[in-house]
Amino acid sequence: MSHNDEIDCSGMSCPLPVVKSKMKIDTMNPGEVLKIITTDPGSCKDIPAWANRVGHEMIEEAEENGKYYFLVKRGE
Amino acid sequence: MSESFSASEMYTWMEEGVPHLYLDVRNEADFSRFHVEGPQDIELLNIPYFDFLEKPEETVAKLDASRSVRVICAKEGSAQFIADMLEEFGFGDIQWLAKGIIAWGNVLVAKQVPTPDHYELWQFNRPGKGSCAYGLIHKGELMLFDISKNLEFYRNFARARNLSLVAVFETHLQADYISGGPSLASEFEVDYIAHEGDFSSSNVTYRAVVDGESIGFSKAGGPSVLCTHSPGHTPGSTTYVIDDKYMISGDTVFIVSVGRPDLGKKVVEWAKQLYATLKNRISVLPDELMVLPSHYTDWTKEANGDHLIINDFGTVKALNESIYALASEDEFVSWVEANMRPQPEEYNRIRRVNANIETVDLATAEELDLGKNQCAASQG
Repeated sequence: MSHNDEIDCSGMSCPLPVVKSKMKIDTMNPGEVLKIITTDPGSCKDIPAWANRVGHEMIEEAEENGKYYFLVKRGE
Repeated sequence: MSESFSASEMYTWMEEGVPHLYLDVRNEADFSRFHVEGPQDIELLNIPYFDFLEKPEETVAKLDASRSVRVICAKEGSAQFIADMLEEFGFGDIQWLAKGIIAWGNVLVAKQVPTPDHYELWQFNRPGKGSCAYGLIHKGELMLFDISKNLEFYRNFARARNLSLVAVFETHLQADYISGGPSLASEFEVDYIAHEGDFSSSNVTYRAVVDGESIGFSKAGGPSVLCTHSPGHTPGSTTYVIDDKYMISGDTVFIVSVGRPDLGKKVVEWAKQLYATLKNRISVLPDELMVLPSHYTDWTKEANGDHLIINDFGTVKALNESIYALASEDEFVSWVEANMRPQPEEYNRIRRVNANIETVDLATAEELDLGKNQCAASQG
């Protein structure tokens, strides 16, 4: 799936991946999709938990070569 | 900038009843899987850190700025972040847990069990797991039972008291935490003593315990350790009776409930073994024996006034009358089946690690090892 913007949080540890993702998605429009890249294992649960809790939509989660990829659609 | 506190300090606050408000900022799933519990009830809130990011004023308003707040997260980064935020909002007494919830999961609290003067018996309580290990000391020699992987704690315990380790016992192949027994025994070149019923197909080097044998210290006059095979929770479960006064009961007898016999997926077979064990090998032991179990679930019911997990066997039987009074094997099996619940998915892997069939790196070991035990046959 295509995305509108991307943020690479590789090497960052908790809480920074969520902090940076929040700041980025706040600049986007409802319905647009943000791609998030992380390496912190804690982020695998925290990114989806954050997205669902604050009204965004988790579209895709994947792991490849020690990196985690997420597609999050901005809520209203 | 806010300051940190250690997991050991947190235990002490709980034991002393210091009225902090504990704020766990992990996600709800991780919180519900495992959270802090201590010897006394605490005020514990779970508000994920991203709530504070998303709606700072509204979320902070849920907390009373006049309280002392202690913030907990997975590692420490988020707790520190939220603690700093609360300080900016004018909270005066805020600290965050150093090294996170894993540090709490590994805390060990050493307490001495009252004994006759010529030997010492210690309970090493791991409140994050709800598990207990034991140390028996006579004239400079130390025997350990059911130790966890925090080897540094046990090395320091022995070094500080100038003790030489002479044996490490295991009551059974543990499923809920990673054992430190084989590593410590090999490091100090002493026997790792366990039952072949659990260890014959493992890759662990062990000295097979024989039912009915008595193992003692090298110097005369010390307490004996009488080894009683007590299968049921596992086929090799063994109860160690010390000096005819204490029963290191493993996961056979708990202060509340008995060890669940369904973890090996042979529930009927193992439940029958447990019934026979309780009836023929355990119930016949004297009521005066003090029970020292490997696990507990509920501090308020299972700890004494000194926060030791201990009670006399007569009282234990009375507390669990409905279990010990089950009149037939069939009734017992039905009771076990009625109380069955899923076992945590990591238990199978922990067993493989404890049998040295699989090795894992430290981060995986910490992850597997986190969480409260689910070893009792009944809840509540």
